[in-house]
This record gives sequence, structure tokens and C-alpha cells, in this order.
Amino acid sequence: MASITETAKKLCEISQKAYLNPYTYINWRDEMPKEQWFMTPELISIFGTSEYEALNESQRQILSFYEATNFFSLNIHGEKSLVEGIAHRLYSKELKEFAAYLHHFLDEENKHMIYFGGFCQRYAGKVYRNRKMEIPREYAKGEEDFLFFARIMIFEELVDVYNIRMSTDEKLEPIARQINLVHHLEEARHLVFGRLIVEHLFEKYSPGWSAQVLQNCKSYLSNYIVSTWKEYYNPDVYADAGIADPYDMVEKAWNCESARKHRAKVSSKVVEFLKERKMIDEEPAL
Amino acid sequence: MKPEAEVKETLRAWIIKANGGKIKPEELLDDTPIIEERIITSLQIMDLILQLEKITGEPLDVEQLKPGVFKNIDTIYKNFCSENNRGGGEA
Repeated sequence: MASITETAKKLCEISQKAYLNPYTYINWRDEMPKEQWFMTPELISIFGTSEYEALNESQRQILSFYEATNFFSLNIHGEKSLVEGIAHRLYSKELKEFAAYLHHFLDEENKHMIYFGGFCQRYAGKVYRNRKMEIPREYAKGEEDFLFFARIMIFEELVDVYNIRMSTDEKLEPIARQINLVHHLEEARHLVFGRLIVEHLFEKYSPGWSAQVLQNCKSYLSNYIVSTWKEYYNPDVYADAGIADPYDMVEKAWNCESARKHRAKVSSKVVEFLKERKMIDEEPAL
Repeated sequence: MKPEAEVKETLRAWIIKANGGKIKPEELLDDTPIIEERIITSLQIMDLILQLEKITGEPLDVEQLKPGVFKNIDTIYKNFCSENNRGGGEA
């Protein structure tokens, strides 16, 4: 516990020094021509399919604009539920000693949504809708907090791989690249805290759970990795980019062998983390 | 919109596939509680929403949905596919 408390203190100091004004950090341009790269081509969800191969460079760039808008939109939805959950737990008995860092967490996640929303609203005129839905249920002691922070960690670990790759991709339109960079720099701190709090909650509560609760948690996390990936395959994006049969495209892209390998590779670090700590038993069905 | 029986069969086939084939078709009745009995998980609802959009040809607004709409095949059909009550807000 001492190490996580100390780490949270250090993260607070770094967050204070790195404090950014989200309203001046990005120099938004008025117009955004779509015929440039907004997403690294290899990260586009239909990359590797015959449909992607059939597109010319200009069509691929336009698709990259809508894919980036989807990537930013799914970040907004993920961070909205994160902010709700953190705000709900702020100064709770379980987490009160981390309250100072949770304030930074909230502040930085809110800023990320300002960047993502700024791009989506200005240039696409919309945020893509969310299709994820949680059904309320009963939890064992500590299970809900553990799953909440584990969800955050999984979501952020996957997003961060994309952020790192795109923050250094010189092909990308500068604002898209800058948003990926700032997100990665701040998420790096959240990930340090996330891994520690997930371990702490699991070690504290899982010994008191029944075998069934523990198995349900493991299955849930494995399935959560899969459902997080499914958000990257959005028929609304394909429709906007002019791809025929957008719902069929979702299935084709998901089942494409190179996409499966890509998902497994991007997920490998977080899957290894969860497996090593016995938080999941099996590889997710990616 | 396709006839009710055909839509329900499409839904039944999707649920059985999503369940990994552990439930037999004859065990999955129109009023079998699919979430409560863990035949599908809440994480698979996103996929189910995509299927419903494909069937109905209309986008769904998750923020307007109530959890009860996904209780069983009957409630899904009634809330999303019947001509009188589309959109999923009535469960």
C-alpha cells in the first residue's frame, strides 16, 4: 500500500508541473480537408481486407478521417464512464488517500474529451454514437471497484498503443498527431496508477470471493477486451466513407486474419499483465 | 420488415451463436430470460444492437434504452421490430 500511495504522490507532482490549458494547447484550424492521413493506415479497422485494397489513396485518406473520428469518439465514451466512476468514488472510504491524484485523473480525462470532442465536432460535425450498455447487477465486496479500474486499465492500455504509434507518424495531419501525443503523455501516468490500483484491489478482495465470483470476473475481463475491440469496427464509419454494406463490412473486417493478429499483438501487454496475476485464465477470443 | 416468426428465428440463431452453442435451440424459448440466465452477457449487447440495426435498418440510441428491453426474444421483438413500438424505450 505504501508504494501505491507514494506513487500517487509522485504522479500528483508530475501532473501539477505538466498542467496544460486545453483551450490554448491546440491551435485549431478553421477548415480540415479530408484528403490527408488522420489515422496510421495499418491501424485502420479494415486494413488487410480486399475492400481496403480496392480503395484508391484519396478514398483511404477520407476513410482515415472517419476512422480517426471514431477513435476519438470511442475515447470520449470511454472517458465519460471513467469520469462518472471516478467522481462517484472520490473521497470514498476505499480511495480517500488517493483523492489528490483522482482530482488530476478527472481533470486530465476531462481535457482529453475537450481535445477529442473539439476535433469531432469541428471537423466531422458529430461524435459517433456509443453502442455499449451495462446491465446493473449485484456485486461481491470489492468486485465492482476492481472491475471498474480493470476496465479503465484495459481500455487505456489498448488506446495507448494507438496513441504512441500515431503520435510519431509524420504522415498524419498535425492536429490529429498532436491529440494522440498529448493523450499518450497524460495516459502514461494514468496507466501507472491503474496497474497499481487494479493489483491492490484484486489482492485485497479476491481472496474473499467465491470460486464462482472469481470465475465470473475472469470471464468478464476476457470478454471486456473483446467488446472494447469491437468498438473499433463501426458501420457508421464505413457508411460515411462510402463503403457498401457497412454492417457486412464489420463482420468481414473483424474476421480478417491480419486484423485478428493485429488485435492479439496490440492486446498482448495487457493480456500478459492480467494472466500473470491470475485475473484472467484464458486468452480473449480476439 | 420481415414477418415476426422470421425475425425471431434470426434473433434465436444469433443468440445461440453468441452463447457459443451451449444452449440448444429447443431450450431457447421466446420468453427465456437471456441476460438473467447468462445466455448472453451485458458485454454482448453491443453486438446485439448491431444485429437489430441490421434487421430494422434503423440506428438505435443506446442512451434511450432501458435494460428490460433485452430480457428475452419477445421483449426484443416488441421493442425494436414490431411496427407499433420501435426504438427500444418501452420495456
